[in-house]
Amino acid sequence: MFHIIPLVPRTANKRTIPHVSFGRAMRPAAETKDFRRDLVSLLPKLRRFAMTLTRNANDADDLVQEACERAITRSHLWNGEGRLESWVYAMTRNLWVDEIRKRKVRTGSGTVDALVQDELSIEPSAEKAVYANQLQKMILSMPEGLASVFLLVNVEGHSYRETADILGIPIGTVMSRLSTARLRLAAMISENTERRA
Amino acid sequence: MQQTKGQALEVRLSAYIDGEIGEAERTELEALLGRDEDAKALFERLKAGSSFGDTAFEDFLHDPVPLALVRQIKQGPGVNPKTERVTTTTATVRNVRIWPRVLAASVALMLLGGAAGFIVGTANNVAEPTKIAAARGWLDEIADYHRIYSRQKEHLVEAPASEGPKIETWLASSVGVPFKIPQLGGKGLTFEGARLLVANGKPVAQLVYRSTEGEIFAICFLKDTTGPQSGEFDESIRDDLGMVSWQRGGASFVLVGPSAHVGMQDIAETVAAAI
Repeated sequence: MFHIIPLVPRTANKRTIPHVSFGRAMRPAAETKDFRRDLVSLLPKLRRFAMTLTRNANDADDLVQEACERAITRSHLWNGEGRLESWVYAMTRNLWVDEIRKRKVRTGSGTVDALVQDELSIEPSAEKAVYANQLQKMILSMPEGLASVFLLVNVEGHSYRETADILGIPIGTVMSRLSTARLRLAAMISENTERRA
Repeated sequence: MQQTKGQALEVRLSAYIDGEIGEAERTELEALLGRDEDAKALFERLKAGSSFGDTAFEDFLHDPVPLALVRQIKQGPGVNPKTERVTTTTATVRNVRIWPRVLAASVALMLLGGAAGFIVGTANNVAEPTKIAAARGWLDEIADYHRIYSRQKEHLVEAPASEGPKIETWLASSVGVPFKIPQLGGKGLTFEGARLLVANGKPVAQLVYRSTEGEIFAICFLKDTTGPQSGEFDESIRDDLGMVSWQRGGASFVLVGPSAHVGMQDIAETVAAAI
């Protein structure tokens, strides 16, 4: 018998993630005591977000560092509305787009939109990287753009509008990438089970 | 709420999972799920993908954050992290009346000048630097102790956690600071036991905790009535160790732990309220 799960409209912070406290990072500026401390609290999440963009630990660390430097120098522009992480995420994403553009100019190659990329692709550097967890590898092997959308909406509870704003893409793209990501992840379940066996 | 009519079914069901569609569409999709086995199977796949992804992404949070980055953000070259506050809007600043500030600044300058003259004219002016040096020395010694003891596997503490009441009596009488052992389970820390140390020639109590990841944290305190007793927290980093110190009730306290740990200040605030 099929049961319909009662659904509640998404709120900004639907989920909580164990091991890391995010409350401080989500407070409005008036209640924020120390911007740097909030930024440090945000680091594990920010690094995870950066990983979904770069799909490479070294690039992610560089990106996080650059994003934090920029956030500190521009902290006076943070108006305290919404979530600090959304502001820093958007900054991080912009920096990564710039970086990709630079690389494109340097090497003549760029990124491929997730919607037009049919085959799974992993950057050579990502292939070489050693990740402790097999699941991380699988996540990072998803076509570009899928993991970021999934992370923001499904894991961190951002609304479609917030996610679109952070990633600089239309809401329609958020929706299609999200459903694609979910189906890709569902397909990985059996793959993961086989690898464990 | 999003309009998903005309889009692929997986997109619509995905938006349904997220509660991003309106009431009419929700009712329509629920009816579809009730009668269409293919739609139901697709819905289950989407949900399974969501659940699997949640678990996979949680693993990323267990990765260690680069220590150098934490240090750089916390301390920043040439910038005191404590003064890096989030600024308010300029509109608020404009509304503040300027004359009371000018008057207050003038009075402050006058007092400052007077105080400076007094200090220059007083021969015995070495007490303050000595006190600062002493305070710095205490924390440095605690950091040294922590580096050595936190690596001890079998002899991490002198008195084990099971002797809690005894520890409180013993250390309170040895150090001269009455206290209660803070329970920090809510912060993921388990009390392991205690030691009696000596720093700056004074007895120091050390309460040792272990995190769920196996990291060692310590709360150290000694009797000290010379400090400001303001209860303000001062966060600093000594190589691999993070320290949050404060003074209250005639005692100086410091929390020591890995500098990469992001919740040091929170733990220190909890300790200060509970000890």
